[in-house]
Amino acid sequence: MRRFRLPPQILRLVLLTLAIVGTYLIARTLLVPQSFGAYGWYRGAALEEIASQTPVFAGKKACDECHADIQHQLDKFEHKTLSCEACHGANREHALNHDVVPTKVPGSLCLRCHEANPSRPAWFKQIVVKNHYGDQCTDCHLPHQPSQSP
Amino acid sequence: MKTRFNRRGALARLGAVLAGVLALPVARTARAAVQNFFTSSNAPRGYDPTEHKWLICLDATKCIGCGLCAEACKKENDVPPGPYYRTWVERYIITKPKPGSAETHGETLVDSPEGGMHGFPECPVPEDQIEQSFFVPKLCNLCEHPPCVQVCPVGATFKAPDGAVLVDKNYCIGCAFCVQACPYGARFLSPVTHTAEKCTLCYHRITRGLKPACVEICPAEARIFGDLKNLQPDDPLRKFYESNRTQVLKPHLGTGPRVLYAGLDEEVR
Repeated sequence: MRRFRLPPQILRLVLLTLAIVGTYLIARTLLVPQSFGAYGWYRGAALEEIASQTPVFAGKKACDECHADIQHQLDKFEHKTLSCEACHGANREHALNHDVVPTKVPGSLCLRCHEANPSRPAWFKQIVVKNHYGDQCTDCHLPHQPSQSP
Repeated sequence: MKTRFNRRGALARLGAVLAGVLALPVARTARAAVQNFFTSSNAPRGYDPTEHKWLICLDATKCIGCGLCAEACKKENDVPPGPYYRTWVERYIITKPKPGSAETHGETLVDSPEGGMHGFPECPVPEDQIEQSFFVPKLCNLCEHPPCVQVCPVGATFKAPDGAVLVDKNYCIGCAFCVQACPYGARFLSPVTHTAEKCTLCYHRITRGLKPACVEICPAEARIFGDLKNLQPDDPLRKFYESNRTQVLKPHLGTGPRVLYAGLDEEVR
């Protein structure tokens, strides 16, 4: 009985195929980012990279840790929906390190929201400056308790 | 006579090559671990994107057009100066119909000077000509089936399991296909990095338990943000969608936005 022998041309083809598949697999391990496919067809590590950006605004909760008294006052009046940083500006630096002086409140801030504009919703309190009493809002309104006078 | 090529030597070399190949993945894991140890300093720990599903609700009846959101977004995300906005506010002015025209309304004018960042100039239409006027805050609609992700040729943009549609800066080639594909105009090419940029839902903030900058800063509570997978009983998000009749932008495109609007006019696109 003759032993079966693989014809040499087939053997070469098989070896060549194995070599190509092997090279492909090695290249693939080297080139595909490790976290690829962690959540889907993309690099999972990208999520962490995007999340590593540093926040600029501290958030109302951070202010509340020290300035709960002001917050408490604010909550009783119309401006309760405002975040501190809406008027006082981004102050995360100050929230993290109390030695950093917080940014100053610019003067003309009230009109940004309260100047009369036909596009604003009707329920929202608006004034026409020239028909109002003056241009120094804080002479008559306390910013934290807008319906009260100083 | 000793030959230079013998079986033992050949086997040893073959073994070395095989060991090298097998060691590659191990070495890569080790390298990644070392890199991780030294570089991932700033990313918040313990955030699992599969444990959250974010939703943004916008109330157009509450928006006062102050533009603090657009300004805060620019500051928070260091968005390049110029006409590049991740969120912006549009002003809609719908005029009265011409007398005798048998129409419900006349023209619709839309503007958004500097994204509304510094407020809006005086109304270009005399007040008695205005039928309706209102502000509409806009941002990425966090599509369930995002067209921008479909068209990306390099897989650089993707929808994270928590619903945020993000861009992998390292893989983006800046072809701007996604900018064209987005039906909401929420994307742009950054003139600084020359890669696609968009609202990340302030990913660096929400992973730290903070609200997105625009939501944090909105003085009129026109923007509400929450996590559908971790809803509290008194969640403002739940209150919003239970007490409002909501709609999404361009529903006929089948993008499935995760940004719900209340109080929109049919003129809003």
